[in-house]
Amino acid sequence: MTERVYRHPLVVRITHWLVALAILVLTMSGLQIFMAHPALYASDASRFHSPVFSIFSDVDASGQPVGKVQIGRAVFTTTGLFGWTSDGMGGQASRAFPAWSTIPAYRDLADGRRWHILFAWVLGLCALAYAVWAFKLFPTKSEIRELPEAVKEHALPWKVKATPQYNPLQKTAYFVVVFGLVPLAIVSGLALSPSFDAWAPWVPALLGGRQFARIWHFVAMWGILGFFVGHFLMVALTGFWTNLRAMITGWFVVKEQQ
Amino acid sequence: MKLHRAHFLGLLAASSLSGCARIGTALTENDNFRRVLDAPERLNLAILGAGQPLSREYPDSAISPDFRHNGFDPPSDPQFVSWSRNGWHGYRLFVSGLVDTPTSFSVDDLRTKFPAITQTTRHDCVEGWSVIGKWRGVRVRDVLAAASPQPQAKFVVFHCLDDDGTGAKYYESLDMRQAAHPQALLAYDLNGEPVPLKNGAPVRLRVPTQLGYKSAKHVSKIELIAALGGDYGKGGYWEDQGYEWFAGI
Repeated sequence: MTERVYRHPLVVRITHWLVALAILVLTMSGLQIFMAHPALYASDASRFHSPVFSIFSDVDASGQPVGKVQIGRAVFTTTGLFGWTSDGMGGQASRAFPAWSTIPAYRDLADGRRWHILFAWVLGLCALAYAVWAFKLFPTKSEIRELPEAVKEHALPWKVKATPQYNPLQKTAYFVVVFGLVPLAIVSGLALSPSFDAWAPWVPALLGGRQFARIWHFVAMWGILGFFVGHFLMVALTGFWTNLRAMITGWFVVKEQQ
Repeated sequence: MKLHRAHFLGLLAASSLSGCARIGTALTENDNFRRVLDAPERLNLAILGAGQPLSREYPDSAISPDFRHNGFDPPSDPQFVSWSRNGWHGYRLFVSGLVDTPTSFSVDDLRTKFPAITQTTRHDCVEGWSVIGKWRGVRVRDVLAAASPQPQAKFVVFHCLDDDGTGAKYYESLDMRQAAHPQALLAYDLNGEPVPLKNGAPVRLRVPTQLGYKSAKHVSKIELIAALGGDYGKGGYWEDQGYEWFAGI
């Protein structure tokens, strides 16, 4: 017995892949932009002497360059990955993120910004197209009731079976990304624009100020990347090809087993 | 075994990212894709650059202890240095180009001949940081009006005295609408003192609705022109290096 369900309408399939591309490019070009001033402040203007987070390079006791990440009062040595890392030309340099993680690979704030703003438009327009459909992601009462059960099931992720209907945890994860993290990324990104801020000064104010909006933007990025890891893992564990085919053709096929 | 698998997945992730970085770098250097990359600027200008909304003004308590300096060093040529040591005696701000009455002003003229505007606004650098300062100066539109712009004047170019060390002078430009913004100032004071050398003495532009590189320092000549391009490049020193002319985002 084979069950075939038309699970993903065209608009979802197109926006899914465009958004996946956009998130990849926005992350890599965002890291490029962040390299120009790799520090975060919990305020409106920058308090240069007290960043809540920063990445920098230093020299150790023997005069060797080292990379450092500062979070609050803690400082970690991250040589090779953050602060002092690959320059993309076979050497190492004082840069916050390695060359293999940024677009472009070499340091160029102007081009990083061009990429970021182009794909911000892609993400924004996809979000609008998707939002119409996405209201289906609002959890129903019974799904909220079944959520703890679903969480328990996912404790053994390799035993989870993909079903034609989203299970409650899956649906909640999509809901948090679609209505939480992506809107937060978009709104906190807009709050960094001085022209947008002139139109809507209450937006950066609501986020704790322009520099605080950078923190939200950073948090949203890590949240979305975290979701991506979980999403990719579950897609792989619950039948990579079945899931991939569904997101390409729209049809979700389940082979019933006796 | 598990460690190996994690290691392998990490390597796989890094090498796929590396592939993306390489593709992204190659596309950046492709002339056709360049046009795609440059396209959103016009959309941003049409939407975010429309109208004349005012940047938020802050109370004195929000002023940053130090107004951070970024960009070129102040000019070091003998004339500029002698001006700076003699209370800007001899310095003049010229207004020329497509105007009926080309004219020039000393710093004292700016202080006495035009209404003084005080503005405590945030300065957002393209690098990502922000500082808040209290500026005092005159509206760009008042200075332009004193020279009677001609109808074919569409852009205002701000020529500056500082250079990048290779002789390329800093310059910036606004269109007539942006120049008419009530918060677009030619500032002579910062936080109650004459503008310090590092922040653009004696007169700097302030455009709080756009990123910091639009706010050109050490302005010496304002020229009205019909179109950018040609001798006027892409409308600014950083614009010539690939940054957006509309720096509102």
